[in-house]
Amino acid sequence: MKELLIKNGFVYDPLNKIDGETMDIAVRDGKIVEEVKKGKTIDASGMVVMPGGVDIHSHIAGAKVNSGRLLRPEDHYKDVELKTVLTRSGVGYSIPSTFTTGYRYSRMGWTTVMEPAMPPLKAKHTHEELNDTPMVDKGAYPLLGSNWFVLEYLRAKMYGECAAFVAWMMNATKGYAIKLVNPGGLEAWGFGRNVRDIDDPVPNFDITPREIIQGLCKVNQILNLPHTIHVHINNLGKPGNYVTTLETMRCVENLATDNKPIMHLTHCQFSAFAGEDWRTFKSASEEIAEYVNSHSHVTLDMGQIVFTNTTTMTADGPFQFTLYQITGNKWVNNDVETETSSGIVPFQYKRKNYVHATQWTIGLELALQIKDPWKILLTTDHPNAGPFTAYPKVITWLMSRKARDDVMKKVNKKTRRKAPLSAIDREYSLYEIAIATRAGQAKALGLESKGHLGVGADADISVYNLDPKKTNLADNPEAITKAFKKAAYTIKDGEIVVRDGEVVNSVNGRTYWVKVETQANLFEIEPELKRAFEKYYTVKYENYLVPQNFSAHQTPVTAKARIKS
Amino acid sequence: MTLVKNVTCPICGTLCDDLEVEVEENSIVDVRNACAIGEAKFLNFTDPKHRNLKPLVRKGGELTEVSLDEAVERSAQILAHAQYPILYGWSCTSCQAIRVGIELAEEVGGVIDNTSTVCHGPSILSIQSVGIPTCTLGQVRHRADLVVYWASDPYSAHPRHIERYTSFSDGRFQESEWEHYVTRLRGVLGKKRLSRASARISMREVSIPPIADPKLPPEFETEKRKLIVVDVRKTRSAEIADFFIQVEPNRDFELLQALRLLVKDEELEVDKVAGVPVDLLEEFADILISCNFGIFFFGVGLTMSSGKHRNIDAAIALTKDLNYRTKFAIMPMRGHFNVAGANIVSTWQTGYPFAVDFSHGYPRYNPGETSAVDILQRDESDASLIIASDPVSNFPRNAAQNLVKNPMITIDPVVSPTTMMADVVIPSAFVGIEVEGTAYRMDCVPLPMKKIVEPPKICLPDEEILRRILLQVRQIRQTGGKA
Amino acid sequence: MIVKLHLKKEIHVPVDAESISPDVFAGKLVEEIAELPLWKGNRKVPLKDVFGVEGISGKVTNELVIHIDGNLSKVQRIGSGMTDGEIRIAGDVGMHLGVEMKGGKITVEGNVGSWLGSSMKGGTIEVNKDAGDYIGAPYRGSTEGMRGGTITIHGNAGTEAGRYMKKGLIRIDGDVDQFVGIHLKKGAILVRGNADGRAGAFMTGGKIIICGHLKSLLPTFTIDSMKSKAKVEEEIIKEPFYLFIGDLAEHGSGKLYLAKNKNKHLETHEKLLQ
Ligand code: SF4
Ligand SMILES: [Zn+2]
Repeated sequence: MKELLIKNGFVYDPLNKIDGETMDIAVRDGKIVEEVKKGKTIDASGMVVMPGGVDIHSHIAGAKVNSGRLLRPEDHYKDVELKTVLTRSGVGYSIPSTFTTGYRYSRMGWTTVMEPAMPPLKAKHTHEELNDTPMVDKGAYPLLGSNWFVLEYLRAKMYGECAAFVAWMMNATKGYAIKLVNPGGLEAWGFGRNVRDIDDPVPNFDITPREIIQGLCKVNQILNLPHTIHVHINNLGKPGNYVTTLETMRCVENLATDNKPIMHLTHCQFSAFAGEDWRTFKSASEEIAEYVNSHSHVTLDMGQIVFTNTTTMTADGPFQFTLYQITGNKWVNNDVETETSSGIVPFQYKRKNYVHATQWTIGLELALQIKDPWKILLTTDHPNAGPFTAYPKVITWLMSRKARDDVMKKVNKKTRRKAPLSAIDREYSLYEIAIATRAGQAKALGLESKGHLGVGADADISVYNLDPKKTNLADNPEAITKAFKKAAYTIKDGEIVVRDGEVVNSVNGRTYWVKVETQANLFEIEPELKRAFEKYYTVKYENYLVPQNFSAHQTPVTAKARIKS
Repeated sequence: MTLVKNVTCPICGTLCDDLEVEVEENSIVDVRNACAIGEAKFLNFTDPKHRNLKPLVRKGGELTEVSLDEAVERSAQILAHAQYPILYGWSCTSCQAIRVGIELAEEVGGVIDNTSTVCHGPSILSIQSVGIPTCTLGQVRHRADLVVYWASDPYSAHPRHIERYTSFSDGRFQESEWEHYVTRLRGVLGKKRLSRASARISMREVSIPPIADPKLPPEFETEKRKLIVVDVRKTRSAEIADFFIQVEPNRDFELLQALRLLVKDEELEVDKVAGVPVDLLEEFADILISCNFGIFFFGVGLTMSSGKHRNIDAAIALTKDLNYRTKFAIMPMRGHFNVAGANIVSTWQTGYPFAVDFSHGYPRYNPGETSAVDILQRDESDASLIIASDPVSNFPRNAAQNLVKNPMITIDPVVSPTTMMADVVIPSAFVGIEVEGTAYRMDCVPLPMKKIVEPPKICLPDEEILRRILLQVRQIRQTGGKA
Repeated sequence: MIVKLHLKKEIHVPVDAESISPDVFAGKLVEEIAELPLWKGNRKVPLKDVFGVEGISGKVTNELVIHIDGNLSKVQRIGSGMTDGEIRIAGDVGMHLGVEMKGGKITVEGNVGSWLGSSMKGGTIEVNKDAGDYIGAPYRGSTEGMRGGTITIHGNAGTEAGRYMKKGLIRIDGDVDQFVGIHLKKGAILVRGNADGRAGAFMTGGKIIICGHLKSLLPTFTIDSMKSKAKVEEEIIKEPFYLFIGDLAEHGSGKLYLAKNKNKHLETHEKLLQ
């Protein structure tokens, strides 16, 4: 029996409605318990105690991330991690090596991170990397929005069969949620084309993005997956795309029941652009916020820009090609048969650039104008809008108008003049930060034992050296950044793994996947399908599957599907 | 007798995963679907003449049989005391073994480098300078209406590549060119027979007429999938191509750059580039632009000829330029079955794909400096561990000489010039036949390698051997290096 | 103020001597300098293990001269990032000499390894014999080439001299290998000897002058004019030159001067000027 007591901290546990009360948190055998008798005690007086950080969307592992690492040795040279007795060496900056990724998350007090773009054909790759990413629990979302089977089932309106296929997919790839990236557009990209909007049919497939989104949303409901569909919209990164964003949210409006979210719209900053072109480009955060404020079927995450040299990488091949055309930087494109594409382009966000500076304001405007913090989660779409190591900064911007103003002084003049952000006073409280970085994330993911400190929860806890009683945080932005950069303690499954921002114990972390309980394996009942599979792919059916214990620490979460078959 | 299906072939980067292997009493009696090279491997790998079956340590100049523990202990001693050891090979083993190899390299502060350093290393350097538009092989099978093999001869080096992924494969949007080919082959064979016959009669050499004249064949008018070969000599692959362009040796860079101008609709001021008439090049450029999905496959003929990675820079730049006009991809024809995996694992653990130097306690990368051949040519290393590869035969002479003059550990299932020169020889099991694991195809698709038969008792998996050495090294370190 | 270092004995594994730099030595006593860390292969050792140290150090960087002798061909990174002062190397020296140098002066009596003055921003480097590959060039993946300063090689140089150079001058008295001035953006490269071909590949701007023979001209260069002289900084080379513009494959407008008298094979281009 291993016990631990965290005494006298200011506890922020929004799922249990605890807002900064001074409390003790007791831990036994990796879980939060009522009380403990003996064991180690951490004196957290004058410190903030929160559930461990959760990240719903961060590109940390898999084929695309690794191509990014390979593409950019210049990203690594000056940001290195030395080997220690406890930890492996590695490199940063925007695309850290796997070990370094785990350590850096943990040092900031994060304990769960989701990789949001796994090409199913290369799922083994993603899992091999996740297995080498220590300190945090993980999961990965298979890309399904341009998969041929999915497109064909949905075109024929065979939702049950499609659900059975997706259920098989989750098991086959050890996936956690349904991911759609530029639905249908990636198939078109196979021949260098794209779709224009959600009603533009996919070439050769006679189905529209709208039908794909609605279809997979229904499938998700049938399967009862813990997370909603996770959507990267069509037209991402294009001026005027907020219209597509609104349409995308609207198109599933009437599938919603009992006010529960049924869609997660990711890195929304990149999807809230108004204007006709880059010259007339401006923020559409108000339009998006207005919609989200009056609907309850979507959750979003920010995709907040930080001004730095980073690496953009998405499954959205055509979008990445556009970025390559704009920047002339080096460019990777990698299309995956029958499923998806991907692209990578290094990118520098510059303060003095009107578009970049405006993008910086859009992310914050969304987070500050959407009233309910459960609806918009904190991310940088790592590393697309900036590396996850910038979270302390983003937290600071949300909590302190002063911090925002300090940046505003230095950004492009036109942005300063035009951006709605200048007029926004709202400042997040620590309670709201705990929602945006933990509770809301875990809730959206359906991870019931994460994101809170109630009895029975996983003992993933972070303690920050920050005293909200003594310091006025909004006036002291540096104090916020400093505290969140280096957690005083990070506790993973009841073990102290980080102390004063240094790793003191290296642990592996689990990989969650959703085991959908259906009556039978679709491919076992349909031999025809296996033949189709081997026509569609250049690998054998059996070799496609990620075996049960392919990597250590795989942990299934079960979902009970409502498929009649 | 059992039939093992869906077996992945542990030979070349084509990584065919449809082999069927018949096993009788722990020995392989038949193989289906493999090419001749693959089949030979499965049927002959047990040949004791070529197999390492004893752990050996050099004592008084002679390789002497020892226990496995002693061989491991000796290896650990060598590595723990070395100031700049090289850990080299890695492209013919599993990703699981490579993972441990990197950990070992980090522990001993050594340099870990894989065989891409002598094959497609330049391709990687090139990706690092310009990027790469590429795809998985299924995209080619389904979509490519234009396939170009440049300085690569799949017919000989990747025998099933064409049949599985390109011209002779059947895709959703592209049909197999097989029949088309058979008709053409009949014509060629007819001509060959004729010329052989006439040679016999007249007793003198009669040259076989080329299949494609330096003028486009009429088939190019049709919508069919086209196969083009560009090379310095007429290879087997060139013979089955619709069209062959012969480039002067070491002049690919010029040819590629010239094509880049042409696909931008600009003009050339010369009438010949790299021996190819400009008219012909213009037609070639037209074909490139007018396809719906084109792909370049390139081989070591491009990476290892004059210009090296700059040839690939030009080839990739051409591919990027073509994407403004149509859809185009490019892919290196990786040789060893898991050389791609060696790059991939190294990249996720260290940030860098090969030539990683841990001597300062963190990964450093600078091919030319931290690459095995260069280190050896400068004679800077003082010990080495070689796994599943034969640098004594493959490295430049002075590099090989400097390699063997320092303590060398080898882990290899087979006897090679390298294992014969080694100070420690540790026999290992064959990945993909006797041990399972993961390997990555040339297009970076991960595939499972199977264990089909039991290895000889003394032959452990590479992963296990490396782990034992690592453990020993750590023990030596903890006790302050008892030597 | 001169600090003298001499290599104690032949070295086998490479030595990383980043700390040998006027910036690091300034303000330290000779005894302290002797204790500065070096990497010898994977071992960290004090400088005195590898070098004998004598002389008097100075307080300020610009008064400091570091004199080194012995066979330094495996000693790397000397003068890394230096801003002022002087380093004199009596014999051969290894890779990365003067990498990211910002000011001051380095002179080498013998040969020097690759990556000489990589990504340097200022200062001067002078090498009496030959230099390796990648003079002034950035490391893999980076496009941050030379931003200033002058490098002079009295002997021959390897491949890719001046890659991605943006400002500054490289002078090579002898011959150069392939790809001189590859990806050149601005700045100038003067080659007094012959060039092995592919000069100016991917260049977008800047100037390359080759006074000797160029093995072959890339097809992506177009002839612009004939010139009676070529100019680099203060120096004027009075002899007829062909001026080519390229690399057209990159829409480049770099200038490539090729001595007419040494490049008869380019005569055919002359007719395009008529
Ligand atoms: S082509 Fe390569 S992988 Fe396929 S069977 Fe032949 S040797 Fe094996
Ligand atoms: Zn993303």
